Amino acid sequence: MSIYAIDKLCRDALHDIGFREALKRDPADAIASRDLTGDERNALLSGDIARLYQWGCHPFLLAYLTRWDLFGITPAVYNQRIHTVHEDR
Amino acid sequence: MAEIVAGIGLPHTPGSPALVAREGPQCETARFYAEVAKHLDAVKPDVLVIFTDDHFNTFFLDNFPTFAIGIAETTSGPNDQTPMPHYKVAVPVALAAHIRASVIARSFDISLVQDFEVDHAVMVPLHFITPHMKIPVLPIFVNALAPPLPTSQRCYALGEAIRAAIEQWPEPLRVAVIGSGSFSLEIGGPKIPPGERAAGTPDPGWSRHVEELLAQARIDDLVAEATTRRMLAAGNIGGELLNWIAMLGVIGTHKPVTILAQHNQGHAFAVWRWS
Repeated sequence: MSIYAIDKLCRDALHDIGFREALKRDPADAIASRDLTGDERNALLSGDIARLYQWGCHPFLLAYLTRWDLFGITPAVYNQRIHTVHEDR
Repeated sequence: MAEIVAGIGLPHTPGSPALVAREGPQCETARFYAEVAKHLDAVKPDVLVIFTDDHFNTFFLDNFPTFAIGIAETTSGPNDQTPMPHYKVAVPVALAAHIRASVIARSFDISLVQDFEVDHAVMVPLHFITPHMKIPVLPIFVNALAPPLPTSQRCYALGEAIRAAIEQWPEPLRVAVIGSGSFSLEIGGPKIPPGERAAGTPDPGWSRHVEELLAQARIDDLVAEATTRRMLAAGNIGGELLNWIAMLGVIGTHKPVTILAQHNQGHAFAVWRWS
């Protein structure tokens, strides 16, 4: 697991406007050079917020993705998907 | 000798500057901040000490301090693209260095940061209560967002140590102390209320209870009840109560002169004065 790398990616989406624009244009290409496992890459590209949260990604950072609907995650989509998580961390 | 002249507790909702710009000075948020600003003006502080939690902007998870003190000639912000003016403000360097040395001598191993900006948790409150940015500001960073969090007892004790340090400062100086943050707030976690947003207030009842304890000056009860488990049950941002608790450690046990709550948003605006 490279949870730190996903947290960092979310932070970069806020702070690095060039990276953010690349994520909007072509998400798979934008994250190609990131140090992620195949599962992590797939979870990001499919917007699987619940899995990312359960793996230990920080929710404050994950929620950045909704600001620009990155990986197709609108606030409403985020809200719906995070509620598929049942256990408390 | 320096003296502590006021304690202040405030929220730092990033949307508030834009909300107030849109809705005007008569909206509730503007009025509540203005009420606090009036008290701050009345106590004429020379310096502000603010307990704040960095939201992974000044620091990141590669190097995330439990406690840190900012010592530089100036700082600026917000550094997190909060929609509001960008400010630069002086930091009281000599006082900050004295406080750092004093609390380390009292066994608080506080980290040092000397080249830093601050995020909305500092700049949103300052935007409303000292928009001229003429009062130097000393930020003390508390980890309220990335568990394991420091305990409420430890934060209160840090506040007491900072109080002792301020009172040892040999020159006349009027110090006001701010705690910045919410009591109940969830961002991005499963406790957000169902709907269209990725944030919300899961436990307004805890916010109400915290207000009652503050209003009754039941600080020992507040510190005892504010376990990590209880704070995080009120939302993954609920640890920001630690900033208030550290501020209370500085000022000691007093009843607030005003406390204005927005429990539907899980936070309050409060002032403690004794002169």
